[in-house]
Amino acid sequence: MNFKKSFRKALLLVAVLTLTASMTACGTKSSTGGGEGANTPAPSNAANNKENTTAVQDGELVPEEGAELLVWESREEVPFTEEIARQFEEKYGVKVKIEEVATTDQVGKLTTDGPSGLGADVIIIPHDHLGNAAASGLILANDVFAEDTKKNNTEASIIGATFEETLYGYPRAAETTALFYNKSLVPEAPESFEDLIEFGKTFTDKSKKKYALMWEAGNMYFNYPFIASGGGYLYGDNGTNKDDIGLAHEGVAESMKVYQSLAEILPIKSGDINPDIKRGLFGAGDVAMDINGPWEVAGYKEALGDNLAIAPVPTVNGKPAITFSGIKIYTVSSFAKYPNAAKLYAQFATTKEAQLLLNEKIGSVPTNLEALETDQIKNDPIVSGFAEQAKNSEPMPSIPEMANVWAPVNAAMADIWDNKTDPKAAMEKAITQIKDLNNGLAAE
Amino acid sequence: MSRHRTRATVLSSLLMGLGQIYNKQYMKGALMMAFEAASVMYFILNLGYAFWGIVTLGETPRTAANMQPGQYDHSIFILIQSLITILYLIVFLVVYYFNIRDARKIGAQRDEGRPVHNFRQSVRYVLDYKFAQAFLSIPAMGILFFTIMPIIFMVMIAFTNYSAPNHIPPGKLVDWVGFETFKNLLALKTWSHTFYGVLTWTIIWAILSTVTTYFGGLLVALLINQKGIRFKGFWRTILILPYAIPQLISLLVMRNMFNGEFGPINQYLGYFGLSGLPWLTDPFWAKVTVIIVNMWVGIPVSMLLIMGVLTTIPRDMYEAAEVDGASGYQKFRIITLPMILFTTAPTLIAQFAGNINNFNMIFLLTGGDPVKGDYQYAGATDLLVTWLYKLTLNQNRYNMASAVGIIIFLIIASFSIYNYRRTKSFKEEDMIQ
Repeated sequence: MNFKKSFRKALLLVAVLTLTASMTACGTKSSTGGGEGANTPAPSNAANNKENTTAVQDGELVPEEGAELLVWESREEVPFTEEIARQFEEKYGVKVKIEEVATTDQVGKLTTDGPSGLGADVIIIPHDHLGNAAASGLILANDVFAEDTKKNNTEASIIGATFEETLYGYPRAAETTALFYNKSLVPEAPESFEDLIEFGKTFTDKSKKKYALMWEAGNMYFNYPFIASGGGYLYGDNGTNKDDIGLAHEGVAESMKVYQSLAEILPIKSGDINPDIKRGLFGAGDVAMDINGPWEVAGYKEALGDNLAIAPVPTVNGKPAITFSGIKIYTVSSFAKYPNAAKLYAQFATTKEAQLLLNEKIGSVPTNLEALETDQIKNDPIVSGFAEQAKNSEPMPSIPEMANVWAPVNAAMADIWDNKTDPKAAMEKAITQIKDLNNGLAAE
Repeated sequence: MSRHRTRATVLSSLLMGLGQIYNKQYMKGALMMAFEAASVMYFILNLGYAFWGIVTLGETPRTAANMQPGQYDHSIFILIQSLITILYLIVFLVVYYFNIRDARKIGAQRDEGRPVHNFRQSVRYVLDYKFAQAFLSIPAMGILFFTIMPIIFMVMIAFTNYSAPNHIPPGKLVDWVGFETFKNLLALKTWSHTFYGVLTWTIIWAILSTVTTYFGGLLVALLINQKGIRFKGFWRTILILPYAIPQLISLLVMRNMFNGEFGPINQYLGYFGLSGLPWLTDPFWAKVTVIIVNMWVGIPVSMLLIMGVLTTIPRDMYEAAEVDGASGYQKFRIITLPMILFTTAPTLIAQFAGNINNFNMIFLLTGGDPVKGDYQYAGATDLLVTWLYKLTLNQNRYNMASAVGIIIFLIIASFSIYNYRRTKSFKEEDMIQ
């Protein structure tokens, strides 16, 4: 009895103590009373200092004392980053920790994790996410190495890494879509979509599940040639003017007709095509051609071996097909505790040597001009196929409004493909929706 | 003769624990004073900031000039911190009230000339007679700060403009907009069209999926329970299987099976010379498909439930019916069905409420597709809950998502309350006669 009582007492005491502890823990926040005062001493931002920006030369920038970095990387590219992190630590003595985050999720994750101090110091993103990140002040400008970056990389990649006249990114690789074809079925890649349809009439056989060409027909990313080759575009003024949407130009309706005519050799609803099924059919030799991007190379090569070849996307109405190009860029988080070390890392991971290493490990297309001239790249038939197409590519717009384009246009594409809707009408509907979204009718 | 009572009350109202000290309960008084001192200290540091924060939600966005923590306001963090402070203020006021009540009670005791507990006796009294309350106050605090606080926070989000692209901290501030989010959702054409479309389908889906699985289960249970059916255990096992496989696996497999072009289902139809159906690509057929697949997954649950009920129906009822010359159908209609419905009605309503939020089924099987061009971020088979998911995770329109969430809660809560009241009345009711 007595023991029971004392036990209860002890229990209660512990409970009370826990409670008070948790209460005080909840409430130890230094008040900033309107955002002034209570400043933590700022780390020395030698690089951010206006006077120093020009003075700091490559190599003069040194990482802060005791710097440590956290970087995010997508699953496929982790082997490359592990290698780069090792070399970086050897050279500068800065430890780099790697976490796996898909490139398309990184800006969103930085928005929530950055302010709480859990975000990465250097992120790698597709450049169409750049506008969002820069407009919300999540990333620092590429100031120290700007000269270097501009000098050493392709013009398209610099456009992709720039937002509102400021260079933010450190380009690492270029991506664009091209025509994958199986040489054992199609000895010569068709020059135009008209030729492709001619070939398709001999090859496509729905009952045998054989198709001349299969690609994600309901996804705007792969269908950009049918918009751009007819003179269309997403946003005017090189993708910076959100009020000028060029999806319904006269020429677009013409090139979309070509898109619609492809249903003849691919009599499938767009919703029934998914990457997994397509991969299986292409690997088994039931699909002869596919419009796809470099991330698919490794898998297809395994399935087809030397029969896999890459060619530019066929011409649309006699005009060269203009594809989307995406640039994978590093950017430095503005929440980084050690901005100098982070900038050094971003620079280090995008040098000529680093880009060649990435090509070796993944099969990427470099943006570094010197790297593009090396034998390693020139003799790689896959990369040179993409490089050929990249000459006729336009960088995706990177303004924040880019996020509003996908859903409406994909819906329009599905409509045009599945229901044989008039392209002009479908696109005009999409434009209305994009404008609604842009003007914040839905956002406010 | 209420001198002590009044004095103690007044003193305690002035300062926590003062009345207790006046009542010669020094230890208790000292503890209370310490509590008040600590709390007041905390309030001096935080209360002004909390009220400023909850009203303005911050004033200084993060720009290139003020990047260091502490130099800028993060609206969402401010909202949460303010909430914590204000909730603590409420806790403090409750404790204050009890302190006054306590002083008053003890003062009254002294007026009546009864002895006053010393500290040891007080502690003992609490441990012996108020142990449950004393001990439950700890989890109650936990629930307040880890369950209720987040819920209040999420409800508050619906009344702000916290959404991409223009109001995502830290680069931008968030403001209160009152009921504008709800107004947009219910009245603004771009949103309301989607909302009513999705809501209509959600209700249709909830009704159809509940009815089909329930009556399907009833049919199967009755079939297995028929006299003369052999291998009952075997049939039961076969029918339980769909329920035993995790939905994550079975539904993703189904997704491929129903593929209009390469799915086995359309291929079999092709062998019989029938043209396949656009199972997942046509808005109407996609809806039919989710209902059918949901039957496959849901019938076993109802079957088990109803089998259990069937065993409870007294056999002599049937015997009496047979004596009266009732046919098989009459027995079913007059005895079996009412008994089953009576027992399982609460479960039926619970299933209905659950189906309104059947996230797995839709998300894994169709992902809300096929896309509808005139919807905002929703597809033809999206339920409110999967639309909410898309709004939050893909589009970062947290305020819209929160508003949709509140509406879902209202719908489901009303069903649940109705159900709860039913079951209570049902407990007191007599059996049907």
